[in-house]
Amino acid sequence: MARPRITALTRLFARVGVTVFGGGDPTIAILQREFYRRDWLTPEKFAIAFGLARLTPGTNVLAFCAAAGWYILGLGGALAAVLAITIPASVLVVWLTRAYDLTAHNRVALSVANALLAAAVGTMIGAAVLLVRTQCKPGRWLRPVAISTGAFLLAFVVRLSPLPVIGIAALVGFFWVET
Amino acid sequence: MNLAVLYLLLVKATLTSFSGLASLPVVRNDFVVRRQVLTDRQLNAAVAAGRIGPGPLGIYVVSVGYLVDGAPGAVAGWLAMITPAFLIIPMLRFLGARAEQPRARAVARAVLFAGAGLMASAAVPLARDAIANPLSLAILVVSFMLIAAARIDSLWVMLGAALIGLIAFRF
Repeated sequence: MARPRITALTRLFARVGVTVFGGGDPTIAILQREFYRRDWLTPEKFAIAFGLARLTPGTNVLAFCAAAGWYILGLGGALAAVLAITIPASVLVVWLTRAYDLTAHNRVALSVANALLAAAVGTMIGAAVLLVRTQCKPGRWLRPVAISTGAFLLAFVVRLSPLPVIGIAALVGFFWVET
Repeated sequence: MNLAVLYLLLVKATLTSFSGLASLPVVRNDFVVRRQVLTDRQLNAAVAAGRIGPGPLGIYVVSVGYLVDGAPGAVAGWLAMITPAFLIIPMLRFLGARAEQPRARAVARAVLFAGAGLMASAAVPLARDAIANPLSLAILVVSFMLIAAARIDSLWVMLGAALIGLIAFRF
C-alpha cells in the first residue's frame, strides 16, 4: 500500500467533502474509488472501516473517514480526514442556511434546488450500485447481490430499522464465508 | 443559549443516533419543543440546507447551531457532529489483527453489502419527494447512470443538474 503525505490526504478529503452530494453513502462510494485508484487502502480494510462505521454512533461517514484516515496515516490521518471533510462543507452549509432563508420563495432558486435534489437521489442510488459492484469479483456475485437485496427488502418491505438489518447481515456474513 | 449547553444538547442528539438525520427527533424535542430557541420553519431550513449542500446529511446540526447562536453556535454544532466519529478508533484498535481473519473479513463485507441495500431503501422515499415532474425523473435516472455506469465525478453531475434546473425555469 502507498503511504501518502498528510497534505495529499487532506486535499482528497476536502475535495470530496465539498463536491459529493446526496449524503454520506455516495461520499463513501466516491472515497472507495479514490482509495483504490491511489492504492491507499485494501478492499479488506475498506470493508472493516465501513462495517464498524455503521455501528458507531453519530454520522456514519465521519466515523468511516476517521477509520480510513487512521488506517492510512494513524491518528494524524484520522484527524486530518475528519477535519478536511467537515470544515469546508460546514462553511458551505452555513452559507446555504442564510441563502435558503433569503431565497425560499424565489422560483429560480426553487427550480435549481429541485433539480439538485433529483440528481442527489440519483447519485445516491448510483453510489449503492457502485459500492456492491466494486466489491464483486468475477464469478462471485451471488453473495454481494443476495445480501444487499436482502437488506433492501428487510428495510423497505419489512420496515426493519438499520441496526437490526446490519446485525442480520453480520450473522449471514459470519456463517456464509467466501471460499 | 450558553455554548456549552448548545454543544451538549447537540452531542446528545448525535451520540444517540446511528445515521445523519436520525438525530432530528431529539434535536426538535430539545430546541423547538422544550427550549423554544428554534421554530419548526428554522429547523426545516437547517435540514434543507444540509440536503441541498455537499457532505453528510448530519451536517444540518451545524446549521442548527448557527441558527441558535450565530458563528460560535455553528462551531459548537460542528464539534457535536464530529465528536462521535472518533469512537471508531478504539474499536479499530481492539479489532487489530483479528480484523484480518477470513471470518471477520466476511462479516465486514456482509455489513458493507447490507449498507448498500440500506442506502437504496433510504433513497426510495427521497426519490418520491424529489420526482416532481418528468424532468426531475429524467435528471434522477441520468444521474444514476452517470454515477453507476459511467463513473463520472458527482461534482459534474450536480453542476449539470443545477444548469438544467436553471434552463428549465426559463421555459
